[in-house]
Amino acid sequence: MSDKILSVSEITNEIKFTLENSFSDITVIGEISNFTAHYSGHWYFTLKDSDSQISCTMWRSFNSKVFFKPQDGMKIIVSGNINVYPPRGNYQINAKTIQPAGEGELQAAFERLKRKLDAEGLFEENLKKPIPRFPEAIGIVTADGAAALRDLLSVAERRYPVAKLIHAPAKVQGEGAAEEIAAAIEALNRYGKVDVIIIGRGGGSLEDLWAFNEEVVARAIFNSKIPVVSGVGHEVDFTIADFVADLRAPTPTAAMELVTPNQDDIFAYLNDFLYTSHSKIVDYLGNKNYQVEQILSSYGFRKNIDFINTRAQYIDGLFSEINNSVSDKIKDLSHRVSLAKRTIDSADIRKNLKKGYSIVKQNGLIIKDSEKINSDKNINIQFYENEIELEKWQLKK
Amino acid sequence: MAAKKIKFEEALQRLEEISSLLADENVPLEEILKLYEEGIKLTKLCQTKLKEAELTIKKLDNELLED
Repeated sequence: MSDKILSVSEITNEIKFTLENSFSDITVIGEISNFTAHYSGHWYFTLKDSDSQISCTMWRSFNSKVFFKPQDGMKIIVSGNINVYPPRGNYQINAKTIQPAGEGELQAAFERLKRKLDAEGLFEENLKKPIPRFPEAIGIVTADGAAALRDLLSVAERRYPVAKLIHAPAKVQGEGAAEEIAAAIEALNRYGKVDVIIIGRGGGSLEDLWAFNEEVVARAIFNSKIPVVSGVGHEVDFTIADFVADLRAPTPTAAMELVTPNQDDIFAYLNDFLYTSHSKIVDYLGNKNYQVEQILSSYGFRKNIDFINTRAQYIDGLFSEINNSVSDKIKDLSHRVSLAKRTIDSADIRKNLKKGYSIVKQNGLIIKDSEKINSDKNINIQFYENEIELEKWQLKK
Repeated sequence: MAAKKIKFEEALQRLEEISSLLADENVPLEEILKLYEEGIKLTKLCQTKLKEAELTIKKLDNELLED
């Protein structure tokens, strides 16, 4: 037993000195558990293998340079130094850099997050929003000055120059990229005046594209009220963002092609409209005309016309009947008038005959002038009683 | 619908509507002629807008967010 009695602080400081000097530059491989990102920005986690475990801290100034967000179960390589924390009397690794223990680790992290989000329903097909056919304004989330941005603009310019583009710049690679992408999606939602959002970046390694595999991006896409189209990397690259997005495009260029109608198609449509609408109107009028004719020749209409015709004929008949009977009457009357006249005339003649006058006639005509007598022909003399005829008579001048 | 104020996207969507209405025999004659006239106007409007269009791009910054 040592004679020297140390205070707790003295021994702790000696341990601290010894450990921190002996392990000032170490690299350790292990699996993450109990990962916590404190609101202060510092990270706390435990690194373990099958038999042992060690606490780790990673200050904000260091962890901001890490391109991925560590997940429990991920195997990583940590570089840093041992640090003793006197208030608790424990030691921990003060991590300065961390990296996945291999590409397989990122892939495994990807699969874990994918399974988790899938189970939560973030990939549900029936939650996906439809992409507007004619977007007025298109939001773009990509980096300032990126090749992807230039590609997106030139596609929009060529296909649909009517659109307004709203660029929400975000770092798309490296530390803090995921948070910036999520913030840009949220900012476009606050702005509200875009019909669709494209998130895009050109091709790169798994590490380059990693921001699009982060949970914070996935949640921002899922929570977006505006439909989101992802166009990340190349055809073969699939990111978590692609699964959550309302539509996945293989590349940024393809994303812009999917959200913009081609102006050539629109011109063709407009011309087609002019042409077909005219013929539609002609057809319509033709149809209406036919309908009118159909109605006119229908039984209902013909019945009335028949009725009218029948009546007209009846009236005509009546008219000619009336006409006939009237003219018969007139004939009859005029006949009776002439008979009466003759009777009256003869009554008048007989009065004179009775007084002793006689009437000389030739050929049935009364002779009123001796000059008009033809001496070669018979003459008749009518008396009051009887009449004589003179034949071969002689005129003495 | 005031042809002057209508947006390109709305005009196109309206045209599609009109196009199907024109083929509908149940639409009354007076209306179909109005629709036809409206369609022709919208077509001209879209053609003009598309020909004259220039792509605009704005950066989403605080100023844009506030207006």
